[in-house]
Amino acid sequence: MKIVIIGASAAGISAAKTIKVAEPDTQIVVISKEDSIHSRCMLHKYLGHERDAKGISFVHENFFAENNITWLKNTTVVDLDTDKKFVRTNDNQAIYFDKLLIATGASYFIPPIPGLREAKNVYGFRDLKDAQLLDSECKTAKNAVVIGAGLVGMDAAVALLERGLKVSVIEMMNGIMGLQLDEKSAEAYQQLFEEHGAEFLLSDKVTSVDIDEAGKGRTIHLASGKSVCADVIVIAAGVRPSFDFVEKSGIATKNAILVGDDLQTNIKGIYAAGDVIGISGIWPNAMKQGKIAAINMLGEKLRYEDRYALKNTTNFYGLATLSLGNINPKLKESFDVLIREDRNNYQKVVMKNGIILGVIMQGNINSTGFWQYLIKNKIDVSGIDKDVFDLSYADFYKVDSISGEYLYAI
Amino acid sequence: MKRIIIDREKCDGCLNCNVACISAHEEGSNFYTVNLGSVDSETRNFIKFDAKTGYTPIFCRHCDEPECVLSCMSGAMEKDPVTGHVKYDESKCAACYMCVMNCPFGVLKPDNKTRTKVIKCDFCEEKQDGPSCVKACPKQAIEVKEVSR
Repeated sequence: MKIVIIGASAAGISAAKTIKVAEPDTQIVVISKEDSIHSRCMLHKYLGHERDAKGISFVHENFFAENNITWLKNTTVVDLDTDKKFVRTNDNQAIYFDKLLIATGASYFIPPIPGLREAKNVYGFRDLKDAQLLDSECKTAKNAVVIGAGLVGMDAAVALLERGLKVSVIEMMNGIMGLQLDEKSAEAYQQLFEEHGAEFLLSDKVTSVDIDEAGKGRTIHLASGKSVCADVIVIAAGVRPSFDFVEKSGIATKNAILVGDDLQTNIKGIYAAGDVIGISGIWPNAMKQGKIAAINMLGEKLRYEDRYALKNTTNFYGLATLSLGNINPKLKESFDVLIREDRNNYQKVVMKNGIILGVIMQGNINSTGFWQYLIKNKIDVSGIDKDVFDLSYADFYKVDSISGEYLYAI
Repeated sequence: MKRIIIDREKCDGCLNCNVACISAHEEGSNFYTVNLGSVDSETRNFIKFDAKTGYTPIFCRHCDEPECVLSCMSGAMEKDPVTGHVKYDESKCAACYMCVMNCPFGVLKPDNKTRTKVIKCDFCEEKQDGPSCVKACPKQAIEVKEVSR
């Protein structure tokens, strides 16, 4: 059997690995627009000069050769024929397949703000190529402006600060990393970033960008009337799934490629996984989707059930935070919001009727993995007679007598 | 593969497993010289104390389907196809702590000193005679056994 995988990030590589372990004789072709494999979660380490391109790879150096996988790098897919079962590449090759996995990810989005899309010094922070372009700008630029204070924006900011630029971060919400943090935990990071030289313009948004003779965006105007000078602009205002090439193929889409629980599209034998299916934008879930799609392509019938995606960890300047679920409940009075803090820690648990809905652990995140299990499985902890902050896996301890693996006693 | 099999009933919380683990990962140290007060002294296994449930050994299972490996974005966590053990390569780790979040049993933690790596059981792979914690347990509450996978 011949399987073609489009995309070589978390979902694509995880699928290729899974297939090679399960059925090593399967012929695999991986098509990627990049010429190196890299983890986009480590781009800040590249831009900050902590690691080189090789250092941000998440596979072994000779991954493709070792696994006997054909890798078409610097190649994009421009068309898909679902009847004759082939994809056409930008260099006009027709690559035939028995099964296809679309793992093309997502691309950053530049909001339609006057001047922003036209400016030549606006970069996303998504692929190694973006980090490379930013890297060369950093050689001369002094003032950097980051638009969007989500995780990607803060990753970019930390690297730009590391390179000695003056960094201003513009954010519409009133705190940084608004999806992952509450006011208190966001303030702790904001303070750390400010100590390292960053400036924040919160509850504000870009209204226009003035462009100079060279085509570069130089002055950024904000709704508040303020303005910021820029030599280089990083846009971190969200991403959109990338699937242009399926447009005429008959594959069902709705802002993302639509898949069933088996991660198969509406066309038999064609699967999709990762950011392109728009279910969740985080690495662990893309890996798991790639794995499940791969197993199903080999003829099994696994369902993608572990869909929980409201989860993240952050680690900036040595301050670690785990955040899960609904941490900023809108109607506070209808939830139990418990807080425990000391000099080095801020912990918050949001619950209702004994079910934990959200958790923030900032500072010490030791052994906190069990919280996600409690939240996503809606486990009632009201019967456990102890302070909720003292819960641990020990309260649910169970061992499989044959394999010795841990289970949950619930 | 080999797994450390736990008998919770036998554990009486002496923490010899903790000491043995710290010592095994501190160069040149042994039971008598190990410096438990050092910030570098990190145990990879834990005993939870609880009035109701007693002592609960929390040891890395080197799971058949390891969530830590699936969540790793740097390639630092890998399941060894030969031994079945989940190996951690500190030099690759980017300290994002997705693995800490994704281990359903709360086994993993950041290191105390630098917050740049993860503390993870390596099954004492460099030692000829197996995991140090198992050798140190006076109650045989933990034992290495061959399990199918």
